Amino acid sequence: MTSARPFDRVLIANRGEIAVRVIRACREMGIESVAVYSDADARALHTTLADVAIRIGPPPAIESYLSIDAILAAARQSGAQAVHPGYGFLSENADFASACATAGLTFIGPPAQAIEGMGSKIAARRIAVEAGVPVVPGETPADQSDDAIASAARRVGFPVLLKPSEGGGGIGMKTARSDQGLVETIAQARREAVAAFGDGTLYVERLIEQPRHVEFQILGDHHSHIVHLFERECSIQRRHQKVIEESPSPVVTALLRQRMGEAAVAVARRAGYRNAGTVEFLVEGAGDAARFYFLEMNTRLQVEHPVTEQVTGVDLVRAQIGVAAGRELPWTQQVLSQRGHAIELRIYAEDPARQDLPQAGPLLLYREPSLPGIRIDSGVREGSEVAVHYDPLLVKLIASGETRETARARALAAIRDYPILGIRTNIPLLIELLEHPKFVAGTIDTGFLDAEGDAIRARLSSSPPPEALAVAAAARAAGTMAATRSGGARPGAIDPWSSLRGTRV
Amino acid sequence: MSDSRDQIDVVPLGNGRFQVAQGSKRTIAYAVAGRDTWVFLDGRTFVVSDTTDDARRRSSIDEQGALTAPMPATVLSINVAAGQAVKRNDVVMVLEAMKMELPIRSPRDGVVKAIRCEAGELVQPGATLVELEG
Repeated sequence: MTSARPFDRVLIANRGEIAVRVIRACREMGIESVAVYSDADARALHTTLADVAIRIGPPPAIESYLSIDAILAAARQSGAQAVHPGYGFLSENADFASACATAGLTFIGPPAQAIEGMGSKIAARRIAVEAGVPVVPGETPADQSDDAIASAARRVGFPVLLKPSEGGGGIGMKTARSDQGLVETIAQARREAVAAFGDGTLYVERLIEQPRHVEFQILGDHHSHIVHLFERECSIQRRHQKVIEESPSPVVTALLRQRMGEAAVAVARRAGYRNAGTVEFLVEGAGDAARFYFLEMNTRLQVEHPVTEQVTGVDLVRAQIGVAAGRELPWTQQVLSQRGHAIELRIYAEDPARQDLPQAGPLLLYREPSLPGIRIDSGVREGSEVAVHYDPLLVKLIASGETRETARARALAAIRDYPILGIRTNIPLLIELLEHPKFVAGTIDTGFLDAEGDAIRARLSSSPPPEALAVAAAARAAGTMAATRSGGARPGAIDPWSSLRGTRV
Repeated sequence: MSDSRDQIDVVPLGNGRFQVAQGSKRTIAYAVAGRDTWVFLDGRTFVVSDTTDDARRRSSIDEQGALTAPMPATVLSINVAAGQAVKRNDVVMVLEAMKMELPIRSPRDGVVKAIRCEAGELVQPGATLVELEG
């Protein structure tokens, strides 16, 4: 890229680790960063790191980070020329993208029409079909008789899911594995659909068994270039929230990668896509013969973008800013390559031993590990207050190595050396997952954590071992000592703000 | 606790870091003491309840009404005598461990029944220091 900066000032319409990530990219590029913050984030890391910080409202997101008016007002006030939406909040809101354009601001993301097109699952599916990319086979037969639904099931191919056409959330779904008993299953599905939604219309869909979630990173410029930056495997998720991601996927062969990459680019091209985006697929089976189906396209930078950055050497946020300023992508598909392996762990403020209960409170002690091959994308620091208002993601730890096993071992060593005290985090769960034989073998499908999560969690709740009690006694003694010397303050009382001052950073 | 391999030595390294030594095995742990004491040890986080009266009673007084040593320590000073009345939170004696002073407070109002240690003595965790009655 040319050396002149693409913008003088960029507003980051987000908070937490992604706001910090974008602020750092701006700083590298000589761009002034403008942070916005709610009252809950007045002392947050992103608020203090940016060159300019503007208050946009009270803690509830709907009155601050989701308020288009408040963010546009902050952009006007700061003189920002462009807005980076991060992920979540307004990042996939077509109205926000349009409002930025109307206000004369460059939206660092795809065109509003592309956000709109991919925002509807039906429209997105149509775009994929038009691009010649497979989607999960399914139909709503016009004739809803038992016979017509049975023949639709044969057309779609067994095993099939019979779903209420009006439904959602998995309610009333029935599985049929063959012609045997099919008519009874159809009748049962219809009864349940009527009971749940007052409408017995059925949708017949192929059941993808033990699917894996594999997504492709896309990047497009305003000069008709679209490339993919290979895949990310995101099969470790619970209730559709990802926990660990990696690149490359342990199940994607070179041939499959090429076919899926071409399909992802075709979908993006058909959607008129520009900037960074992600095409999600379900993968069934393994090896070159594995089948893949378009699931949806995310029209934003993903949480898990760092694993792609680690294996391709591309800085996606810098690329996003450059493309938004009208620059050409500096690479062709042929020069991009995937080198080594990267694994991302999402560290959440939640208690895995108690149904992932969200945690709030001060980070009394927070020390990032420093080890070879470890990258930390953090939105917090020691003394930060974790509030209940927002997503519980605190930090992402990304481990890289020349092989998957090296990356796994590095991730494990680093997470074991990552003390976060004052609130519970999911670190114990991440350790169990990294050590699980199925993760080590790379054979985890999307149902894994929901199926085996309880057994894993049962191992997490235990009373402190003697070593921990001894450390606690020593810490109490040290705390009591300090309090005695300083003239009888409440033993062990810690003000994270005053204690931070003595900390070497 | 006489077997040296069972002995857990905790050395404060400053700034919330502690070295835990058990025989020749060494680990780094982190802890912050407050109303609860948070401990990070080998990827696991533990919360040890501490300064509430309940926990204090559990950790330093047994059913017989005896104050016990919470950790290996040297008795630095004894501030009470047998028969003396004490109030809750009075410092009855001061221990020294790892070059730090550790005041031992009475968990409740009462009368000192007997002193079971001497100044300068090395006491082990669980050893009875003072018996209380009333």
